[in-house]
Amino acid sequence: MRTAIAELATLGSTGARRGFVAACATLLSLPLAAQWPSFEAKRAPRQADGTVELKAPAPVAADGHPDLSGLWERFGPGGITPDVEALRSTDGGPPAATFWNVGAGIAGGLPFTPLAAIVRQERMADNQKNNPDALCLPMGLMQLHLHPQPRKIVQTPGLVVIMYEGNEGLRQIFTDGRALPTVDENLQPWWYGYSVGRWEGDTLVVETVGFRDDVWLDVQGSPLTGAGKMTERFRRLDYGALQVDITIEDPMAYTRPFRVRVNQRLFPDAELIEFICNENEKSSQHYDP
Amino acid sequence: MKTIWILPIVAAGAVLVSGAAAAHHSFAAEFDRNLPVTVTGTVTNVEWMNPHARFYIDVKGEDGKTVNWDFELASPNGLMRRGWNRNSMKIGDTVTVTGSRAKNNPLVGNASTVTLADGKRLFAGSSAENEPTQTPPSQ
Repeated sequence: MRTAIAELATLGSTGARRGFVAACATLLSLPLAAQWPSFEAKRAPRQADGTVELKAPAPVAADGHPDLSGLWERFGPGGITPDVEALRSTDGGPPAATFWNVGAGIAGGLPFTPLAAIVRQERMADNQKNNPDALCLPMGLMQLHLHPQPRKIVQTPGLVVIMYEGNEGLRQIFTDGRALPTVDENLQPWWYGYSVGRWEGDTLVVETVGFRDDVWLDVQGSPLTGAGKMTERFRRLDYGALQVDITIEDPMAYTRPFRVRVNQRLFPDAELIEFICNENEKSSQHYDP
Repeated sequence: MKTIWILPIVAAGAVLVSGAAAAHHSFAAEFDRNLPVTVTGTVTNVEWMNPHARFYIDVKGEDGKTVNWDFELASPNGLMRRGWNRNSMKIGDTVTVTGSRAKNNPLVGNASTVTLADGKRLFAGSSAENEPTQTPPSQ
């Protein structure tokens, strides 16, 4: 690219060359906020100081449903040892999950079956080096919900697409009335499963089945298997807040269903950044055997 | 540039914030917090690539031999959101790096701080593993 630019500069007349150099200088001097991938969202409600009015009402799509579209970022307590009290919901909803442990806020922890407890213990014992994320493989949907890197929701009539920056996760949620596939031996298990959604009032209810047996719900390796079903209830509380309450049912891994919450906030005037995990993956060369 | 301190001091709790491990892998899968490292050297290469930006520095040891260290940073997307880019560190820069050593390689580390010869910090703010990328909105 530098060669091509040099050629362009050489080919042009002196005046053009000066113009080119001036243009480059202008580009280079732009403030960071004006550079790709930051941009100013045209239709966002704004305060007097120009910042996005995050407390404005949730936008409404052409079909009258709330529009969940936007770039979203998980927020709230996290880390390996979160403040459990802070994970509690104040509205009677489920406790917040964390990227490390989706059950961090559940009294007594996740209700593992004996088999799942062993699987999780093994995954922890080797420092989670086989976490699909650490191997540049797709993360489970809960990991994607909770990942520190943002995700972009694009809502269209009949289809909601979620593009996760983390490991370039891509998910389709069909809202065109189709039924979930039958989970049997003929259904190809998928990393992200098969998702359909429907509106219940202002809540998008998404059901997903057809997972692989080796899904990790979190960095600590809480399992999800092909017997699992995930039900998500998406609510855009206002312009800047998205709440997702999630129920996991998986009789292979958990003795009873459990519910957790994921809180997302709008990441205003920003865009996804390409993340191709395998372009220079060298960490695994140093994983402790 | 001429000094190399490798301090295998067990200093639980005193060690550097989580390194720039970001979320790609568990820190403990690759690095040992009990093997803190501080080295000063000259940048020989920068790989501004996923899943982790990396840089390499030549460090001269007390025995006069020069070795090439390989340091891992956060992922480029996280670094970019904090205002850093692929030209923030240049080949030939003299930097002092603190971090943690890889468990299975004495010349690989996770960089938690990178300081230029004039004292300027590079990649500051990028080491918060599993932290959101924007400042909480005032509410």
